[in-house]
Amino acid sequence: MAFVKLNDLEIEVEDGTNVVEAAREHGIEVPHYCYHPGLSRPANCRMCLVEPHVFFPPAGAIVPDRQLATGCTTVLRTAPPDRKLDGKYDFIVRTDSERVKKARADILEFLLVHHPLDCPVCDQAGECDLQDYSHRHGHDKSRYLEVKNVPPKKDLGPDVLLYATRCVVCTRCIRFADEVSGTGELGLVHRGSHDEIDIPRSHEGVPLQVLDNKLAGNVVDICPVGALISKDFLFKSRPWFLEKANSVCSGCSVGCNITVEYKADGVYRLKPRFHEDINQHWICDDGRLGYHYVNSDDRLQLPLKRVDDALTPTHWADALATITEKLSDIETEDIVVIGSAQGTNEDNYVLQQFAHDVLKTTQLGLFGQLPGEAHKFPQFTIEADKNPNTAGARTILGSANGNTVLEGDALWEKVSSAKVVYLVSGAPERPLEDAEKAALESVDFLVVQDVLPSEVTQFADVVLPGTTFAEKDGTFTNSTGWVQRIRKTIDPPGEARVDWEITQQLAKQLGGEMNYHFAGEIALEIAENVPGYADATHQKIGDAGIKLADSDQ
Amino acid sequence: MVEERRILYEHLDVPDINTFDVFRQYDGYTRFEKAITEYQPEDIAKMVMDSGLKGRGGAGFSTGLKWSFVPRDIKPCYLCCNADESEPGTFSNRYVLEKNPHLLIEGILICCYAMGIETTYVYIRGEFTLGKKMLDAAIKEAYEKGYLGKDIRGTGLNIDIYTHPGAGAYICGEETGLIESLEGKRGQPRNKPPFPAVEGVFGKPTVVQNVETLCNLPFIVGNGVEWYTQMGPTYADTRANPPTPDPNTGTKLYCISGDVNEPGVYELDLGLTCSELIEVAGGLRGEEVKAVIPGGSSAPILTHYELDTRLDFTSLTLAKSMLGSGGIIVMNETRNIVDCLLNIMKFYAHESCGQCTPCRWGTPWVRDIVQRIADGDGRKSTMTRPKFGVAENGRWGDTGETEEIYEDLDLLESVANNIANVDTMTWNTICVFGIAVSWPAVSYLRKFRPEFEAAIREGKLVTLPVAEATVPPEENYAYQQRFIPKEFADL
Ligand SMILES: Cc1cc2nc3c(=O)[nH]c(=O)nc-3n(C[C@H](O)[C@H](O)[C@H](O)COP(=O)(O)O)c2cc1C
Ligand code: SF4
Ligand code: SF4
Ligand code: SF4
Ligand code: FES
Repeated sequence: MAFVKLNDLEIEVEDGTNVVEAAREHGIEVPHYCYHPGLSRPANCRMCLVEPHVFFPPAGAIVPDRQLATGCTTVLRTAPPDRKLDGKYDFIVRTDSERVKKARADILEFLLVHHPLDCPVCDQAGECDLQDYSHRHGHDKSRYLEVKNVPPKKDLGPDVLLYATRCVVCTRCIRFADEVSGTGELGLVHRGSHDEIDIPRSHEGVPLQVLDNKLAGNVVDICPVGALISKDFLFKSRPWFLEKANSVCSGCSVGCNITVEYKADGVYRLKPRFHEDINQHWICDDGRLGYHYVNSDDRLQLPLKRVDDALTPTHWADALATITEKLSDIETEDIVVIGSAQGTNEDNYVLQQFAHDVLKTTQLGLFGQLPGEAHKFPQFTIEADKNPNTAGARTILGSANGNTVLEGDALWEKVSSAKVVYLVSGAPERPLEDAEKAALESVDFLVVQDVLPSEVTQFADVVLPGTTFAEKDGTFTNSTGWVQRIRKTIDPPGEARVDWEITQQLAKQLGGEMNYHFAGEIALEIAENVPGYADATHQKIGDAGIKLADSDQ
Repeated sequence: MVEERRILYEHLDVPDINTFDVFRQYDGYTRFEKAITEYQPEDIAKMVMDSGLKGRGGAGFSTGLKWSFVPRDIKPCYLCCNADESEPGTFSNRYVLEKNPHLLIEGILICCYAMGIETTYVYIRGEFTLGKKMLDAAIKEAYEKGYLGKDIRGTGLNIDIYTHPGAGAYICGEETGLIESLEGKRGQPRNKPPFPAVEGVFGKPTVVQNVETLCNLPFIVGNGVEWYTQMGPTYADTRANPPTPDPNTGTKLYCISGDVNEPGVYELDLGLTCSELIEVAGGLRGEEVKAVIPGGSSAPILTHYELDTRLDFTSLTLAKSMLGSGGIIVMNETRNIVDCLLNIMKFYAHESCGQCTPCRWGTPWVRDIVQRIADGDGRKSTMTRPKFGVAENGRWGDTGETEEIYEDLDLLESVANNIANVDTMTWNTICVFGIAVSWPAVSYLRKFRPEFEAAIREGKLVTLPVAEATVPPEENYAYQQRFIPKEFADL
């Protein structure tokens, strides 16, 4: 630990921390553009200037250093005993001296000379570092009278637009493509004040490569200004109108931490949230852009029931009555209950209890999205398992005495010989393979709980409208054993209901004793009953997640 | 009359000196042979330190001291010869490359021997096609004659030289910009520290040295330190107790251009005055000296009041200017300083690498302001303000008079100083290109302010008579410390 005098504070910081981070930890803002904790540090924006103090022998005193230093590259370390300042400090630095304030204002003036200041039509406005820093640290008027550069707007790839006029040439985007995704599509063209971010192009301007990799969307997040813009979000909303909730991506089993940004009428975008051991600062585009099904007009909003070979809307009481009727006079071994790797641990726990305690069956299955492709980048991995909770669902469905959890061929074989199947899906756009189709077709009475009409629902006798990750509370367990929370953001559409509530309702109707009120209550019970989950209560998980005790294989 | 002292350029005009055999007749490679037979590498390094040799590329940093920063235990260590010579007004390295390339090779060999270096890169300005061709040919010959390659002359020394052409960027002359370019990246200077001596080419310790600096080595080794230190003044820095020597030893290849009768490269001892130099170059063309740029376009300008300034590293630093690359541009009474600044600012605005904010957007801004003034669109306020200058008490302060406010001149000075502050000598940029921009801008403005004011007042470029155009030293703090202060005295 280094003992540092930061302005008038005396602080202890981890060796190797830079001044920007040390100050941030203590609530002091050191404005910066090019520095990003997940990238290399070129120190090119010069925004983070701070004033180190050094011992000046001729004066026999500690004085401000002659030059200001960049806070992003000034690293704090324990000094050898004979090099301590004032006998005790490892470093003395000011971020609030007049010299620093002037330097900041001057740098901001330079940053604005060619800037269009089109905040009224700029997507970044409201979450723009240039706006914020100018407001807090800049001059209040412009001295620039000359002509501004107007580099052209450019289409860089499927989801990314460059408003080159707004670029502050911090090179974060270039470094991201070089260091994190390793795809290197971005670079600078021209020189000096004509510097422009671009993709490789022929002399005629035809793109030779586009910004089309599965991590491309991250450049929009790290761009400190409104230069890189997501086409998906363009002109949809002012950021200050959006509510935010911490959640976990449901796109694959990595379990990236995200923030769901939403309004009453739907989800607007997903942004990555830092998690040191899981996703660092990033998420992939499959996850980022994979939320659209939540807002879909096709969402199942009412229960459906097969009448004369067609699925027709009905009301909950009727749908549930139809199911209970069927279930009450059936042999236990003819029933298969299938949970979902898309569902939360809580959903699956209630389902498992329903099967075990009410239906008295030990035949459970696990359903979910088909495996996709895995992608490996220098600093990021996307997994092939496209479900967020395979690990959790598997453990929890199998947690009661004697339960077997079937998957894959074994499951479909079992389904083929079953009379009644209760299948919870929740996987959007899940195509069915031939064996799966055949198995489902052969079932006498198929109950499907899902969020969208799909190949699965077309075989159903009753369809129950469930909820997506954005509409419920709960926990997912990722492939490395991290249990993390998702949070309800918007209300489910129409009469759709949270999956465990539906199951609980069915259980009650069949005489089961189940009376949960909220997901956290179920999690408490999971913590009590499921091995390894003792700490996985919602309180303890918080925003950081907890790692299962026995998952450090 | 001052005589040229040709050492580096002595045999420049000998026919075929670019060939090994002719070079050999004029002591070629004997100094290298002397180095490897008579001295240990450390001895050479000590000789260079004692010779007081200062880098000729621009910064004037002590070569011996630079070598002492190189960690000896990290290998490989590289030598980068900076032959990018692109400072406007500078053209001395070019003749070495074109006419006497073996001298450079010999210098490189001595440096490599002293520093235990096996690989040298010569980064040659892209436009020097002839220079590169001649050097490549000389290198080939040296390989053939066994002065390069494996086990040189049976000593076990392995030294290779590679030449690498630049692609036309001034900033690739800056040592770390050069290294980036050499590594195949965009030519953008690095943040320092770490300095190249510790972490340079491919992350290894690297000695970066100008062509002229390296060409001095054979003579230091061949003729000895004592002989070398006789040339040029050595000052005593009396601020230290006891006073420390501040050597400005050796000769310098002064590149004289502009309004002189015989422009060209002149090899002279360091420490001659500006007027002496103009005499050597055939005298002034025109009536009067208006201004002299002493060290390439980056150097603050000197006025006719300062013609007795000695053109060596120390004196020019004390005169708030620099010897830089030794590119001296003389201007007579017909030259307009605003126009001259515009020309230089166009160059810098074009050459900024664009990496860091103040320089990327400040340099073109400075250019545009000067352009506006030159176009006659400079702004002047109708108001006045108290005039600052040397007050009655002899100190800097309010003079009790008022002055007119030229908004664009204030703006020009302020923007330039925000890139790099010439008064405090601090900069917020990554490399000192920033100061190379604000130095001329601010010094031209402060020393020739009447001409700037006239351009704004009249709405067009006006060339004033020299006496009127120049601000006298006593009225302007740009000059302070012009004369060698008491702390420095000839040893
Ligand atoms: C903007 C800029 C341009 C430079 N251009 C050159 C150049 O063209 N040639 C050169 O030798 N040094 C140039 N230098 C100086 C080099 O950075 C470096 O100091 C020099 O090569 C060191 O060699 P020396 O110690 O032998 O002078 C330049 C420096 C700056 C800041
Ligand atoms: S990038 Fe920021 S400052 Fe620039 S127009 Fe957009 S919101 Fe405004
Ligand atoms: S586009 Fe954005 S991230 Fe990229 S250099 Fe410009 S400002 Fe920085
Ligand atoms: S000062 Fe200018 S030339 Fe030097 S790194 Fe910055 S932008 Fe490039
Ligand atoms: S954040 Fe430190 S220089 Fe850009």
